[in-house]
Amino acid sequence: MKKKKFDFRAALRRSSVPLMFIIICAICIPLSGLSANMLANEIVTRMGRNAFLILSLLIPIMAGMGLNFGMTLGAMAGQIGLILASDWQIVGVPGMVLAMILSIPISVLLGLFCGKILNMAKGREMITSYIMSFFINGVYQLVVLYMMGSVIPIKHTSIKLPRGYGIRNTVSLLNMRQKLDNLIPFSVKLPFFGEIRIPLMTFIIIALMCLVIVWFRRTKLGQDMRAVGQDMEVARDAGINVERTRIVAIVISTVLAGFGMIIYLQNMGNIATYSSHSQIGMFCIAALLVGGASVDKASIGNVFLGVILFHLMFIVAPRAGAAITGDSMIGEYFRVFVSYAVITVALVMYETNKRRAKSAEGKKLAEAQKGEG
Amino acid sequence: MKVRKIVFRILALAILIGIAAVMFVIGRGHTIYFDNKTLEAEDGTVYKPYYKIDVLVNGEKVAKLGEEDRGMVSTMGQKFSMELHITPKKDSKKVGSAVKLEIPYNMDGIILNLPALLNGAAEDVYMDEFIPAVVEETGDEEEVPAGDEFEMPMGDA
Repeated sequence: MKKKKFDFRAALRRSSVPLMFIIICAICIPLSGLSANMLANEIVTRMGRNAFLILSLLIPIMAGMGLNFGMTLGAMAGQIGLILASDWQIVGVPGMVLAMILSIPISVLLGLFCGKILNMAKGREMITSYIMSFFINGVYQLVVLYMMGSVIPIKHTSIKLPRGYGIRNTVSLLNMRQKLDNLIPFSVKLPFFGEIRIPLMTFIIIALMCLVIVWFRRTKLGQDMRAVGQDMEVARDAGINVERTRIVAIVISTVLAGFGMIIYLQNMGNIATYSSHSQIGMFCIAALLVGGASVDKASIGNVFLGVILFHLMFIVAPRAGAAITGDSMIGEYFRVFVSYAVITVALVMYETNKRRAKSAEGKKLAEAQKGEG
Repeated sequence: MKVRKIVFRILALAILIGIAAVMFVIGRGHTIYFDNKTLEAEDGTVYKPYYKIDVLVNGEKVAKLGEEDRGMVSTMGQKFSMELHITPKKDSKKVGSAVKLEIPYNMDGIILNLPALLNGAAEDVYMDEFIPAVVEETGDEEEVPAGDEFEMPMGDA
């Protein structure tokens, strides 16, 4: 058997984004002046807060549907669940579980709708799901701003707007704040980093989710998704219901995004009703790409590397910006600029690779035809 | 095959509804207000406050009440237990008392009058619903941007 030759340039190209972030972080960390203990604690907290949300992106990638910008739909469902649980005064971990259960039917419906639309826009899933998130945001605002309190009963004035219907800009989750994170109090003392608080229960849930994803890949449905992701026509010829498989992938992703949003918000301790969900998709996708994932390939390792690098940049950039320019806003703008830039670079790289592969295929075909002639 | 699928789906739905119902019961949050205040019951009995009461919930001191004081704690579920360390008069010794209560599901906030409770008054005497005062709010809504640092002051883009 012929041994595959290691292509250094290809490997470098593949890991260019994580490498760039490692360099940025290596420059910014000493400039920021933050202690190792603080950085480690922040990273651990953010990993617990964001990892589940980012994991929800893996399944649509597996099914060849690219980066699911429609995860925002699940985030909205999670927020609706949390608003209702808060109004019913179900607190702590039971409140979170109830919010998750409430989010499931909403996520499934939105996922089905999104999946059906994406099946009509094959090959343009990312832009379609991105625009769809704006559309559903309008519906979400209609529900939360006008129907809650008037059609959907909302009792508490701390949640309702003073006019009698609609939800306030901020809903406090003080009764749920970090209840999951602190369910099993645990901290470790490391030689260089000092004492680090670990949100153990959240990490256990994330670990279970990782195991579920690994198991899912080996199931019949998982294999079908991979087949669909590689080549839809071949998968169809093999007897796989391509459309259904794609819809299932989006539904699973949306439901998981809803759960992820609930975990995220319990850590934050409040819901910014009209804005929490709007940016979450973008930043989760950016984090995944920073971890070395691409539009058509992502792994669990990419999720964790992405969270570490992306959030490390988020933590240190404002301070480093302040140290360099004397204005911390420069750092703030820099980190948002980098987030959008990394998505752009990934999309450009994906399109370039696709075109390169297509042209190589064309060349091969032309050569074969020449040989025959 | 189809019947089995439907049965599994119904079963999954039933399990989810069951879990939600359990969460409704065990996760119901209440705010308990402890009053060490004078209370005059409808039958004319007057319950006078103690000199000092320390309230401990789950071993943690949540309120230290002097005469005519009020304290509070947030709790979850319908069963509530607390430990009271009572100093009846200025120079008297502390007396401990463990109290277990069933909290009504429909009440968000509950006021417990401790002197009445400790003197064996009926539930409707020592327990009352806390109804927050209605504050007139002007304007539509306060602009409070809250969340992660993902939100940038970059307009609506």
